[in-house]
Amino acid sequence: MHKNTRNVIIHYNNLQILAISSRKLSIVPSLYDGEQDPGPKFFCSGVQALLKRLTRPDFAKVFRKRTNSNLPFLKTPKYKFLTNEELDAEISKANKTAAWLLQMPPVVKVHDPINEVFSKDPALVGYDSSKYVFTDITFGVPNEQRLIVERDPDGTLQSCDHDTRKRLNQIYFPIQGRKVKEPTMFSDEEKFHGLLEEEKYEFILDRACIQYEPNEPTYQKVTSITYQHVDLKTNFNMLRSTRHFGPMAFYLTWHQSMDNLMLELLQTGFVRETVLLMGLRQAIHEDIAFADELNELVPQILPTPVQLKKSENLSEEDINLDNKCIDCVVKYITKNSAMKSQQELALQGFREEYQQLVELSRGLRKAHGNV
Amino acid sequence: MALKFFSLRHLVRIPINSVNNQTPLYQNNITHNLTNFSTSSIACVTFFNKLPAEKLWKSVTSVSNAGAKKGRGKGAGRIRIRDLNRGQVIGVGKINMLWPGLSAPVIRGRELLKQHRLPDDPERMEKLIKLRDSMTKFRRFKLSPIERGWSGAKMPGRSIGPPDPVGDEEFIGFDTKVLQLRSLLIMKGTLGRTRNYQAMVVTGNGNGLAGFGFGRAKEALAALRKAKNRAGKKLMHFDIYNGHTIFHDFFTAFGKTKIFVQKKNEGYGLRCHRAIKEICQAIGIKDMWAKVEGSGQLQHVVKAFFIGLLQQRTHQQLAEEKKLHLVEYKAENAYYPTVVASPSVVRTKEEIPRDETLDFVQYVMNDKVMLRRKKFPRFYQTMPHYDIYLKKFERYRNHEKIRHNLKTEYGTVKSFLNDKYPEAKSEQEA
Repeated sequence: MHKNTRNVIIHYNNLQILAISSRKLSIVPSLYDGEQDPGPKFFCSGVQALLKRLTRPDFAKVFRKRTNSNLPFLKTPKYKFLTNEELDAEISKANKTAAWLLQMPPVVKVHDPINEVFSKDPALVGYDSSKYVFTDITFGVPNEQRLIVERDPDGTLQSCDHDTRKRLNQIYFPIQGRKVKEPTMFSDEEKFHGLLEEEKYEFILDRACIQYEPNEPTYQKVTSITYQHVDLKTNFNMLRSTRHFGPMAFYLTWHQSMDNLMLELLQTGFVRETVLLMGLRQAIHEDIAFADELNELVPQILPTPVQLKKSENLSEEDINLDNKCIDCVVKYITKNSAMKSQQELALQGFREEYQQLVELSRGLRKAHGNV
Repeated sequence: MALKFFSLRHLVRIPINSVNNQTPLYQNNITHNLTNFSTSSIACVTFFNKLPAEKLWKSVTSVSNAGAKKGRGKGAGRIRIRDLNRGQVIGVGKINMLWPGLSAPVIRGRELLKQHRLPDDPERMEKLIKLRDSMTKFRRFKLSPIERGWSGAKMPGRSIGPPDPVGDEEFIGFDTKVLQLRSLLIMKGTLGRTRNYQAMVVTGNGNGLAGFGFGRAKEALAALRKAKNRAGKKLMHFDIYNGHTIFHDFFTAFGKTKIFVQKKNEGYGLRCHRAIKEICQAIGIKDMWAKVEGSGQLQHVVKAFFIGLLQQRTHQQLAEEKKLHLVEYKAENAYYPTVVASPSVVRTKEEIPRDETLDFVQYVMNDKVMLRRKKFPRFYQTMPHYDIYLKKFERYRNHEKIRHNLKTEYGTVKSFLNDKYPEAKSEQEA
């Protein structure tokens, strides 16, 4: 993966510093079109649990007010009186809604080209100068299985290629938000890179999900460039609590470039999530030396509640768990990491901070009489 | 003969003054500025000099006592007193002269100035007359739209500033609005018909403190002032939910005036009776709906609304009353349940009696149900041709969006035929 930045000009002019950075970051997109199929790995329940936990869902962000929803204007809030049981039921319903809002776009390999020929009828040559396309518009048939065939001027009756299929499906059974003509935001390099510069990752990824199917090469290209840009600028927080964090973490781990994410987690002090990330790597590549310990530790971390900010009262179990996580991280840095020095530095910083937190919480518990 | 007589006269003429004066005749040869000169004092006393300007004007414009009681001599027909000194400066008059020491410096540069006559200003009188004419007409006092109240230049709806400070305490951030200013006439045996002004104002700081007050006086300004200060003394504190609206819908009444009030979301605005709107602005409520039914008596409306606001319960109080969690659902947050208030003890389902109102709006309106008015069809929808119009319009229903999309994609509104037959141009282009 190349990370070239061209045309960086800095003028020093009477204490005014003008920096003109490059508009075209040459990121090479990489698609899941090789030998290995990410599908089975992605849909495995263990991996799904890890990815969902790594997104660190914050309900304040998941349920935030959006401008692209179907709501043309605000409405008055509704109030209800609830008992404890009813409240629990409502909260579980809200969790289900959150899970629905956070469902990850699938990571699958690029679709194979369609080459099915039904019949060759050279007798039809000269009948007409244009192609005929026949679409089966029976209602209830899934779009992927719809019969769309074309009769070429040279008489062959063959199944249409993916682009034509998609176009015709959109014409007869339109999906809200999808355009027949490809939006210039994806076709024009300048516009796309402009959006990336403005860091509108969620908008790009949401639109890509609507416009394309997950097994299309354009979708894979767009998402891979976006993920790499996020990784480059370390803007992981912008995608946290959205449905795109999972596929991004999967992509980075698949391409062995999750060390930047690991570093960010260590710098911000989420040591349990670093262990989960290691677990993800083990699940995908199975190349971690201390795999047994890891496989023991990950199921201990998953049931714990999602940390959104630093907690002040750490119980003894929390401290034990965190210490085990730190041991794992140390091993990872020595054996499998690609950014050893930076991660070691970050870990050291985290250790000092953590020590302070431990002392504070132990002191608090003592003051409260070990309640 | 006459001619001779005239010439003789001319020769014989002796200056009259020389009889009285002891000046010798030879002094006639020297020229003076003053030709007629006498030492006896003369006082030019005319009617205009006998009295001061005030008294003179009063004689022209005064109105009898009976007339004043009836309100004569005020308003549009009245003659205005003009200050004749306006437009005039000491030192400048009918004869334009330079007076060093008065209208000019004594020494200008190195030369000593002397009195001398300046060229006349022929338009001086005209300018003065013009100025005096402009002072006479009764001018309609012009208000800017921002300062205007509910109607024209009348006081209701206009602001009259914060109440006067009481001792050391000042009313910082307070603004009063006039709600009502009316003149009342009472007939008494002793005084006859007397006119009194009654004012109702509301004052508030936009942050939860507000109060309303009444004032009565002979003059409108005095009545407003009294009302304002009284309102400043009778302030009430109101809780506001999220700084923009009330806690819940309610119904109030005072006399035959009934008000239905609904809580609304941010951005809704104040869709209410104009007096209720002023009160809300004084309190700091920004979004609310209110409907006044029954009598429209302004004083009853104001009192009813204040009573309703005071009887409001905060969310915590409601939760404590009901002994149940109060949960808020917002459409823009995908109806996520946010617990707004929790009581100290929560009831279980078995402890709730069967007939208890659990619906929030019903409970808060004290089991009163608001009539949802039926929406009747618009006047054109019942006309005979409307169905036919809809069927015809169906063809063009989406054309605006199509034109918009074409302009976005291709820059102009065109179809594949434009590309197929480029030589065919519209009349405008040709």
